Order: sequence, then C-alpha cells, then structure tokens
Amino acid sequence: MNVKKYNFPVLFILALFVLPFFFSSPVLLHVLILVYFYAFLSMSWNILGGFAGQLSLGHAAYTAIGAYLSTMLFLRWHISPWVTMFGGGIGASIMSVIIGYPCFKLRGAYYALSTLAFAELVRVLITNTDSFLGFQINAARGLLLPVMGHAPGYFQFVDKQYYYYIILSFCTILTIILYFMNKFRFGYYLAAIREDQEAAEALGINVTWCKLLAGIMSSFFTGIGGVFYAQYVLYISAQSIGALHISLEMAFISIVGGKGTIIGPIIGAFLLTPLAELTRVYLAGTYMGMHLVFYGGVLMLVVKFMPSGIIHPLRMLYEKIITS
Amino acid sequence: MLLIQAILNGIFIGSVYGLIALSLTLIFGVMKIINFAHGSFLMIGMFTTFLFTSLTNYNPYISLIVVCPLLFFLGYMVQNFLIKSVLIAEQDIREPIGVLLLTSGLWIFLDNIFMVFFGPDYHALPAPFSKLSWSFGDLILINKARFFAFLVSCLAALILHFFLRHTELGRSIKAVGQDREMAGLLGIDVYKIYNIAFGVACAIVGIAGTLLTTFYYVHPNVGGLFGIKAFIIVILGGLGSIGGALLGGIIVGLIESFGAQFISATMTEGLIYIIFLSVLFFRPSGLFGLRYEW
Repeated sequence: MNVKKYNFPVLFILALFVLPFFFSSPVLLHVLILVYFYAFLSMSWNILGGFAGQLSLGHAAYTAIGAYLSTMLFLRWHISPWVTMFGGGIGASIMSVIIGYPCFKLRGAYYALSTLAFAELVRVLITNTDSFLGFQINAARGLLLPVMGHAPGYFQFVDKQYYYYIILSFCTILTIILYFMNKFRFGYYLAAIREDQEAAEALGINVTWCKLLAGIMSSFFTGIGGVFYAQYVLYISAQSIGALHISLEMAFISIVGGKGTIIGPIIGAFLLTPLAELTRVYLAGTYMGMHLVFYGGVLMLVVKFMPSGIIHPLRMLYEKIITS
Repeated sequence: MLLIQAILNGIFIGSVYGLIALSLTLIFGVMKIINFAHGSFLMIGMFTTFLFTSLTNYNPYISLIVVCPLLFFLGYMVQNFLIKSVLIAEQDIREPIGVLLLTSGLWIFLDNIFMVFFGPDYHALPAPFSKLSWSFGDLILINKARFFAFLVSCLAALILHFFLRHTELGRSIKAVGQDREMAGLLGIDVYKIYNIAFGVACAIVGIAGTLLTTFYYVHPNVGGLFGIKAFIIVILGGLGSIGGALLGGIIVGLIESFGAQFISATMTEGLIYIIFLSVLFFRPSGLFGLRYEW
C-alpha cells in the first residue's frame, strides 16, 4: 500500500472529524451534514450506477422505502430507529431485487427509463395510500415523527454535532466498504460488467447475480440514508424523499464527481451541495429556482468537457503533487 | 353517457400526447438520443404562445407563426452547439449515456431559467377561449379548444408523414435514421440532418405547446410530466413509428380518461407507469415498432 498516496485523504477525514470542535456554527454544520448526506446517497448510487455501470434513475424509491419502512415500524411498535434502520435497508434491498430482476434484461436508456417509472410508481402508491396493514402512511400529508428532544436511544438529537458525527461515520464506513469491495474479486467482476457485459458473460461471470448483488448493496445503503433523513428532518413525505429530483441529484452528483470511483461522489457532493444551499439561501428569495439553474449548467458543462467527471483532472494534479 | 364524454376527452388530449411523442420518436428514432429536455421545449412553446397572445390579443393559433420558427431555430442551435460534440465523442460507445445526462441537465436548466424569469405562478389564457364548447343535447360537451387540438395534431402528423416520405429532405432523415454510415457514404451530411431533424422535432413540440396552451395552464414545470408521458408513449407505440406514436398517445389518453372514472385521478398516473413497465418487459418493440435490438 502506497502510504504517501493515502496521506491526504486520511488527514482530510481526520480534519473533518475534528472540525466541530473549532467551528460550531449550526449553519456550517447543517451544510456539512447535507454534504455528507448527499455524498452517502451518491456513493450508494455509485455502487450500481458507477461500478456496475447500470444507470439507475429511480433510486429515490429506495430512500423513500427506507425512510417510510423505518418510520412506520417506529410509529407503530416504538422500536428504536437504530434497529428499524436495518429494517428499512433490508426492505429497500428486497425492493431492488423485485425491480432489478426484470429491469436488468434491459440496457442503457431503456433501463434508465424503467427504473424511473418504478420510482414514480412507488411515489404514486405512497401518495395515494392512507394506511396499509395497520401502518399509517398518511398519503400526501406525510409522516411526522414525534419530537423527543435529546433521545440517543431513539436516534434523535437536539444539537447538530451528533448528526454530524453519525453521518460522517456512515460515510467513512461506506468508503472503507467500497475500498475493500474493489480489492476483492467482486469489484473486478463489476468492472468487467460495466466495460463490456457480453465479454464478461463469455468469461463465465454470472452477470445477473452480480448485478443483483450490486443492486442489493446499493439499495441497502440508500435505504439507510433515507432513514437518516427521516431522523434528521423528522418529517417525511413522498414528495420530499421519493421525488424524481432526488433520484436525479444522486445520479448527477456521482457523475459530476466521477462515476466509477470511490471519491468521485464525495467530490461531487462537496462541490454541488454547498452551491445549491448557498444559492438557495441567498438567491431563492428574489430568483426562485436559481440553484437548480447552476445545477443544470454545471452538469451540462461537465458532460461536455469532462465526461468522466471532475475527479480525473483533479487526480492527475494530485499525483503530480505527491510525486514531486 | 359520461363514458362517451370520457372517451372523447381521452381521444382529444391523447392526440396532443401523440403529437409530443411523435416529435420525440423522430429524435429517438433518427439520432438514438434520449431527449429528457423535450418537456422543456414544450414549455417554451407554451410560454411563447402565452406571451404572444397576451401581448397582441390575437387568436392563439396565430402564434404558430412565431412558435414554429423560434422552436426550430432553438432546436437546431441546441443540437449543433450542445449535443453534437457529445454525440461525436460517444459514437463508438454502445450505450451512450452522455447525451442522456446532457439533456437531463438541459431540462433542469431550462425549466429553472424560466422559473427565475417568470416566477412560479400559474398562467392561463384569457377565460373565454378555453371554455367554449358545442353541446349535443344535454349530455355531450365538446370543448372547442380540445377538438381543434385534435384536428391540428392529426393534420400535423399527416404533414410530417408526407414530409418524411415524399420530400428529399424527409427521405434523407429517414435514411440517416436507418443506417448512418451508409447515408454518409451516399453523400448525406449526417450532422446537418441531425440538426434539421432536431429542429423539426422541436417545432412540432412547439405546435403541441400552442395547442395545449388553449386549454391547459402554463407554468415552468409543466413540461416534466408531459415529457415522461411522451417517453412512455414512444415505447408503447414503438421506436421510429409515427403512426404508432400518435396511436399510442390516443391510447394513453383514453386510459387516463377512462381510469379517472373508476379510480382517483392521482392513481391513474400510476396506471400509466404500470402499463409502461408491462410493455417494456413483455413487448419492448412496442405495438408498431421495429424489432427490439440493442
């Protein structure tokens, strides 16, 4: 392991962990929490979209299912969200198998459209169901989580620092998992599938099984991200975490940062999320929707001039620096 | 009798859906481009009609004189300066998603630029226009605006069909769609044809926008839903088939209209997605399209 190469990332992560001791402004922490949240979601999307090469535009279905399942279990049986979090993740994984199995036959644009249709279907179903098997879903009114103040056992806190550390730890754990996934054979299988699926099949790789597994991993973590959102905002509705723009943001952040890489989505999140927040804070009053103008503009520029993502010129710069 | 009303309304709105899907299938069939920004062009057409009618107080159908050339020009420019370079860069990749992403970015960009300039308010044409209708007895009301939309859509589809089959330019477009390299070898300037085809498609979606403005509200985000429905119709009717797109549009319109009689209107949206997914899984070539090959 080339020690010098990992100096900067490790130092960066340590700095992020130490940051709240020096800067405790709630606004800064909030923006960073959002950055980590989108980085987490985008990294999960990246497992299927970047590493396996299946451009899924319906990942919001998994955030919605994760958040709703966890909240439904919590509201009905008062199980701690720390436990129902895994329920949400597993529920999202089951959904990904149901969606993935028929969709993986399709390629490229058809696959993207079918995942989009599934996600919209999930959103429509949630928005039209008031209760299901005794669980409250509340259709379009959304679910309100009971405000418990400072309740660590129930995944609720008043100060933002706790959320900060939780989501930062989630991101770090996911990064480590992705790193080891790429080291194991599975990572190479995915790379083969993403580059040339027929050739991979000819080599004897069980493509369907690999894609399904990638989908399961991806949706599991996406579901957990959804649960974090539910516990942070304490209100969920199909329009807030199940909507098309969430799917698109997950995909766009990964693509802008660098699709098949580990740090790509992180860089994308650090770039796009603060941009969105700052424009929303400063400009949305007079010019509504301005932050999305930047969003769309940045995406178009990146696709036109740096199609493999921002990470690649940055990486070349970084390697030049550390080898000098 | 409510059912007959529903059928008529379904056919009328379905023809407009079909017109939008028609232009999308032109782009999809000829250039294999997924154009997620199609709804945005529709929205631009609607705003142009609305502004023209508000400023000049003429009949909205007169705004077609402005909408068609403007949208053609816009489409031509977008294809030439934005999409072309990404297409060239990706021409060897079997599943080019760069253009898909580019058009998604364009969709978000256009929708929100209009939101910035025009605000999130809903606009509609002055009241009398969308409410005029003929009545047959007490039971059947035919809304004039929707009926004219149906007529113009069918007319536009016929003209397009004639254009593609019997004019030199139209045949070049078809040729490029069928086999790009061969068309290039025969002396057709492929990228110029792409520009023209995209322009024509945008002009057609502009016409659909004008028609919609006569009975639908205008808002920067209105394009998104129509865009997605257009994709569903394109795949339902089959790639590259103009008649299929129009017919698919009418079928979707009928399903929506019918469905709304029995289940709540918001659920009919879900019905469309279910139909879409079934078609994708069981008959990906659609009703009339070419054999599914990827």
